[in-house]
Amino acid sequence: MSVTQNTAVSAVPAKGALKRRNEAVTAWLFMVPAALGLIIFLIIPFLMAFYLSLTNTRLISPEPADFVGLRNYATLFNVALIKVEPVIDEQTGAVMRDENGNIEYPRARTILHGDAKYEGLQEAAQFNLFGNHYLFAAGDPTFLRGLKNNFYFVLVVVPLQTALALLLALLINQKIKGSNLFRTIYFSPVVTTMVVVAVVWTFLYNPGEGTINAFIKTATFGLVGPQDWLSNPKLAFPSIMLLSIWQGVGFQMVIFLAGLQEISEEVYEAAAIDGCNMIQEFFFVTLPQLRNTTIFVVIATTILAFQLFVQVDVMTQGGPSDATMTTILHVVNEGFRQQRIGYASAVTVAFFLIVLFISIIQRMVVPEERAVD
Amino acid sequence: MSKKGLLIFAVLAITTLILSACGGAAATPTPEQAAGGEAATEAPAAAGGSTVTLWFHSGRGAERDALTEILGNFADAHPEITVDAVELPEGDYNQQVQAAAVANDLPCLLDFDGPFLYNYAWGGFLTPLDDYVSADMKSDFLPSIIDQGTYQDHLYSLGQFDSGLAIWARKSYLDAAGVRIPTLDEPWTRDEFDAALASLQALPEVEYALDLKMNYGRGEWYTYAFSPILQSFGGDLIDRSTYETAEGVLNGPESVAAMEMVQGWFQDGYVNPEPAGDTDFIDGTAALSWVGHWVAPDYIENVGDDLLLLPFPDFGKGSKTGMGSWNWGITSSCPNPDDTWTVLDFMLQPEQILIMTNANGAVPARSSAIANSELYAEGGLLRLFVQQLEGGYAVPRPITPAYPTITTAFQEAFDNIKDGSNVQDELDGAVDQIDSDLEENNFYQ
Repeated sequence: MSVTQNTAVSAVPAKGALKRRNEAVTAWLFMVPAALGLIIFLIIPFLMAFYLSLTNTRLISPEPADFVGLRNYATLFNVALIKVEPVIDEQTGAVMRDENGNIEYPRARTILHGDAKYEGLQEAAQFNLFGNHYLFAAGDPTFLRGLKNNFYFVLVVVPLQTALALLLALLINQKIKGSNLFRTIYFSPVVTTMVVVAVVWTFLYNPGEGTINAFIKTATFGLVGPQDWLSNPKLAFPSIMLLSIWQGVGFQMVIFLAGLQEISEEVYEAAAIDGCNMIQEFFFVTLPQLRNTTIFVVIATTILAFQLFVQVDVMTQGGPSDATMTTILHVVNEGFRQQRIGYASAVTVAFFLIVLFISIIQRMVVPEERAVD
Repeated sequence: MSKKGLLIFAVLAITTLILSACGGAAATPTPEQAAGGEAATEAPAAAGGSTVTLWFHSGRGAERDALTEILGNFADAHPEITVDAVELPEGDYNQQVQAAAVANDLPCLLDFDGPFLYNYAWGGFLTPLDDYVSADMKSDFLPSIIDQGTYQDHLYSLGQFDSGLAIWARKSYLDAAGVRIPTLDEPWTRDEFDAALASLQALPEVEYALDLKMNYGRGEWYTYAFSPILQSFGGDLIDRSTYETAEGVLNGPESVAAMEMVQGWFQDGYVNPEPAGDTDFIDGTAALSWVGHWVAPDYIENVGDDLLLLPFPDFGKGSKTGMGSWNWGITSSCPNPDDTWTVLDFMLQPEQILIMTNANGAVPARSSAIANSELYAEGGLLRLFVQQLEGGYAVPRPITPAYPTITTAFQEAFDNIKDGSNVQDELDGAVDQIDSDLEENNFYQ
């Protein structure tokens, strides 16, 4: 559309140049409010965070903050892989074993505290590889755990939530009575505050009196007993994922719905004449037509998923044993609960770069198609 | 990079910036937001008078009403001073005050949850009250209130009340299970307590022998309620002789034994790890309730004459319990500290204290108020709380600016321990966290 307008204008060159300049000025004027907002609320705070990350600023302290260079980042990315030798029985010279017959290794803390070169490192994981036992230690194991959980969350939630949103959008796009009612129902969790959703789901997940356990018990005729949804390290994070998908799916559904309604009826008519069945129609007409919508939905969902905070803060505070720790929760814990503003800023800056990098990769792998370039 | 590439880069950069900003925004409560909860206690401004700004945590409804009543009384007695009171939600209270302190936006008078005070005193945000409080007045306060308010030989805060922490029980259940009723002079031993839990658990109406109020969730409750167990075993949260390390104390054999015992209570099914509500004890499904004074009005009303208040067991080094509660301090940025003291002094009058403690069931902070309190005077139902505070059974939480870190570390460890993690590993982790904070801050010298 804009192409035709432009050609029409450039038919009169002198006037056209002036008009283009006016248009440019108008465009800049339109941008000012949004740009000011971005500069004041995003770019300046980010630059401040970057500056703070180079200091040891504390929230409350009579001492002035010192410039510490990259020390915070050094702690953040400090890792070591240590090969651990088994404990040897001094009398027999044999390898010590516990009551289950497993080889005994010295405690991680003993190793890390015993050697000055491991100062500032804490145990992150222990594992066996090629017959050797290794200790993986990090300057901030909680950060790594949070990052790992964030990726886990994104890898599970983004595909599931996108697929489910598309399915719901297809369902409510049918021209049948009552589809407006379903649109409202599916969308209602999105407009509910996350804190409220989290509190309600805490009750649903309650092991003793929660609805979910009661439902499972009835549905399986009592074969499956009550589960500790939020205090079992294996179940806690999937439980959070489930509620996050339920809460967020309506938003993506609405975007898909808009995308679906953009697709012209003629394309479907042509497909029908060519003898497409419903499945072919979906894969060869609907999906390709939704390409740009899908890209937007995937990127937006990814970024939202990396923000995971409210649910875990309200429901599990990162527990049990860091099973639901996320990077943003770690930032809040470090910065506000432990008052280490300088260090918390370093975590946000590092996390920002990681997420930015992922978004750029996503864009490079699946570029958006444009009708007019 | 092409123009288009640059544009995409810019868009993505901004989108991701939104991410980092949102993460931050969720955590940064601004005083402006907070001011939304302005209480209706503002008296009409008197001509020529000064205004004292006041912040307080919004506790239970009855507590709020009591403060409103006290400030109303103040307005009648001192029309020349206007009190501008703002109420902040309790959950985020400390974080909001911290943010305000950083932004230099603190009010004149505000309350603190127990040991969080020291961090502000160390940071230079508070004015000592030494010049305002006479020796007579000081000696009328419970020793625990003075201990709590004193940091580095200066008195920084005074509270209207102190807390009491003990075990609530039903006499009928103890009789049915054949359990001896303990006293402060002769508390349960560990063996007796173990046996009591087992026989109470066996009663048909009991689902859980012990109610540890796990529905309060991870927070200050964990440290307040369960660090006395460490102390009764001979352990502690930090080495109090130097306040420079927790090594060998929080992860020493005594503390480990204490936490292993607590973990055992959960593993044996004596404790409901996730109660759906706050009523297990009232409903009679929990036999013993390990909780503070604030449940008193509720429990007295619902359980009646069957209600007993019992001291904590002696796990080896005597019966120990918690103390400390909300206390008031005056900020150093306050333009009119003298008027502010007039307000605080009024709030600390015995009659005003009783308005508050009758509403929330807490221990009145002054002997003269205790004497006039039906529940706490000699022979009163809650007299045990006073005896615990006066007799040295109550242990203050560590008096150090490192307290926020200590409590966060302990809460995390406790949360994992109750879910079954290795006790030694968890306490070691907490010690590492505390010690690195102490080192980072040059031991708060």
